[in-house]
Amino acid sequence: MNKERWIERAKELGIDELEIYEQLTESRSLSWFGGKMDSFTTSRVLGTSLRAIVGGKQAEMALEQADDAQMDEILSSLAEQGRIVSSSDPAALRAPEKTDEVKSRKNFVKPSVEAIREALAAVEQKLLAFDERIVQVTAAEWSEEANVRRITNSLGLRIEEKGMYQIIVAGAAARQGEEIKTDYKVKVVEDLSTFDLDSFVKELAENLLGKLGGRTLPTGQYKIILEKDAMTSLFAVMSSMFSGDMINKGISPVRDKLGQKIFSERITVVDDPKNTDTLDVANYDDEGCPTRKKLIVENGVFTTVLHSTKTAMAAGTESTGNGFKGDYTAPVTVRPKNCMIVPGEKSLEELCEEMGEGLVITDLAGLHAGIDPVTTDFSLQCSGYFVKDGKKAFGVTLVTVAANYLELMKNVVAVGSDLEWSYRSIACPSVLFTGAAISGE
Amino acid sequence: MQTKEKLEQYLSRCMDSACDFAEIFEEFEENEMISTLDQKVEKAERQIISGLGVRLYRGVQSVYGYTNEMTDEAILPLIDDLRAAIAEKAEDGAEDAAPAEKKPVVLTRVEYETRHPVKTDYRKVPLQEKAALVFRAEKAAKESDERIVKTTGKLLNVREEVQVSNSEGRLISDVRVRTRMMLDAYAKEGNIFMSGGDRPGGGMGLEFFEKTTPEEIGKEAARSALVKLRAKDCPSGRMPVVIDNAFGGVIFHEACGHALEATGVAKNQSVFAGKKGQQIAAPCVSAMDDGTIPNAWGSQNIDDEGNFQQSRLLIKDGILQSYMIDRLNGRRMGEASTGSGRRQNYKYEPTSRMSNTFICAGKDSFESLFEGIEKGLYAKKMGGGSVNPQTGEFNFAVDEGYLIENGKISYPVKGAALIGNGAEILMNIDKVSSNLSRGQGMCGSMSGSIPTDVGQPAIRVSAITVGGTANE
Repeated sequence: MNKERWIERAKELGIDELEIYEQLTESRSLSWFGGKMDSFTTSRVLGTSLRAIVGGKQAEMALEQADDAQMDEILSSLAEQGRIVSSSDPAALRAPEKTDEVKSRKNFVKPSVEAIREALAAVEQKLLAFDERIVQVTAAEWSEEANVRRITNSLGLRIEEKGMYQIIVAGAAARQGEEIKTDYKVKVVEDLSTFDLDSFVKELAENLLGKLGGRTLPTGQYKIILEKDAMTSLFAVMSSMFSGDMINKGISPVRDKLGQKIFSERITVVDDPKNTDTLDVANYDDEGCPTRKKLIVENGVFTTVLHSTKTAMAAGTESTGNGFKGDYTAPVTVRPKNCMIVPGEKSLEELCEEMGEGLVITDLAGLHAGIDPVTTDFSLQCSGYFVKDGKKAFGVTLVTVAANYLELMKNVVAVGSDLEWSYRSIACPSVLFTGAAISGE
Repeated sequence: MQTKEKLEQYLSRCMDSACDFAEIFEEFEENEMISTLDQKVEKAERQIISGLGVRLYRGVQSVYGYTNEMTDEAILPLIDDLRAAIAEKAEDGAEDAAPAEKKPVVLTRVEYETRHPVKTDYRKVPLQEKAALVFRAEKAAKESDERIVKTTGKLLNVREEVQVSNSEGRLISDVRVRTRMMLDAYAKEGNIFMSGGDRPGGGMGLEFFEKTTPEEIGKEAARSALVKLRAKDCPSGRMPVVIDNAFGGVIFHEACGHALEATGVAKNQSVFAGKKGQQIAAPCVSAMDDGTIPNAWGSQNIDDEGNFQQSRLLIKDGILQSYMIDRLNGRRMGEASTGSGRRQNYKYEPTSRMSNTFICAGKDSFESLFEGIEKGLYAKKMGGGSVNPQTGEFNFAVDEGYLIENGKISYPVKGAALIGNGAEILMNIDKVSSNLSRGQGMCGSMSGSIPTDVGQPAIRVSAITVGGTANE
């Protein structure tokens, strides 16, 4: 694609400004099952998306064949898409801006296919040998990806950022009598040759075996700890409440709460795309706006609304550098990037001691359906373990936890210290709450 | 799409390796989404998804590669990478039969008549006219009650062309067209702010709105939001539950459908593995997965492996009849594909998936479902859910629910979730009414997100754990 030619031709066809976003992704994955290679996948995809400003309105298109021969047809369609927009919200592309660029601290060493096969075979063998109740290794998989994103626009913006990851995933099933439980684990692997397979296997196996013999609880109100993974998945779904888009539209539950206390004073939320501890460091968002560290919630007070260029213009403010795409096919939306609840001092064990008696929730299911994003009422299937006298007593399964998220977040007793980014761009430590409704028998 | 000769050349090159089967999936999809807020167009987006995926089998091992660069320079090295990956020695020794003599692949195009004709091609209708359809729905929602303070709408149009060719000489194409409107209405009364939605769709063009008018969609979204304004907290605990028709079928989809997919069954990772011919549901339950229903949301002419879609009887009178099987897992199970191989697009290797899955109509009257229930839950509209096929544990959200008291529908309740074990719930269905209908959804699994219909008549489950918000 001759980008300069596309930008020139766009102007001739009545498009005021044009942005060309390209993402080149090369990936490889290998999975293992039943003592042999199960599948191998390799790919190379160059995706392009175009964003046009037509009379102050925005139009977007994603393409996988950006052939110069289709230039006129595609640009004309963009112009039509822009003209139909009747919302009064203005849109604009970004001119180049300077920022101090940082790099992720991750140092990936690409392993050979042979080394990957050996590692996956070892994971399967070690898991099966760990305990006779582990009856199947449901998944042992290696995935790696290298990607480059380039943003070019008619205002002279030229940005290129590279990303990479390597992860290992293992899943297993354990049986005890008629009961079957499953669990899985994902780890980022910088260098497979020095990766500690034994601890990886041990962690997965112990979590899995801990689920066996689980029982339900009598329905009632219990003190709860949302363990870090469960806390993270719930927070990730709820994080859209800080989006300038949701707030502008008036459908965020905190739409009129800026400057007010929305959570317990024990909760501080930071969004920092340049956090070099994370897997995916972004110096610029997907519009080319430089990113920066922000306090979204400071000691319980809602202090920053996240914005893209468009939502910021509608709100009469500046972008916070949070205009991101899911991938090149997705439009720019407001998204947190490397966002966390700031960890506290206590380990999970200390939180359990402090709770005395209650439920530690390690897994939440049905997050895509069981939450009302407007009221923040939720009711979700969960599992974990019951704590008595500050110590783990027995596994708990097939219960639901229900609460109103905003209410729950006001009732924080303590925030744990166990924050772990792993492959995520949103992370939380474990948190102890005064209580929630648990439904079982 | 590549020419027949080009595909023959690629497939022959694939077969010149240790593989025993090769397949090429080509795709060209265009889609368009118009988003509105309060009867104004917020944005109109278009996507073109286009690429190809190559798959090689050696026994039950598979290797897959995909790219959107449709040139020999990109495709030939991809094929060679796959040939190399499949050539490596099988880990458990050389159990392979001696490789068959490699003959060049000769393709024969399979012609057929479409079951899913399209009347109004969205590409030929100006954006303005399509936006007007959404405005009609928003207007109807807003005018239905003054407490409706906001509406958002989306119109999705998809046209997907696929072509599948394989080393058995099969060359076959399909065009899938889908239309869906998604409307959300927001109701406000005092400090209470609630949303309600309606999201119907079909495997057809814009003629969809001749049968289901935008006004009906708008009014339904508004009705659903307004009911929730007066909803109280939902009680918790085990109780009888009546689940109404259409999207209520998500219970079967989650609790049973996923566990009947060969993806889990073939690897003994499903609670229903090895249960064919056995009773897995109450005798009043029969269920189908039918990918051939004309112009349905989850229908196709052919699956994404080039096999004709089928109508599959999964359960008859409680007895398990059939699984949903794709080609690769068919090999593992020693059974033929049931035409169930599906994928989101060329970036995914296909696996066994549902199409339009539903519990068949029964004989009980709707009213009789409530008889004798002292305290229970009536789930009129379901939200989504999920399942772990290996343990059978599932959950789903009740979008619009009511308490049942002394055999009668009482007040609306909010925030209810249903959880349980699929194998157990199927046995606990004790009444099935006759008002069968289907609802539309997107189903996510290993091979991506695909359109599927769920469905059922109203059913009664004698006991299920309801997770509510009320403190009792």
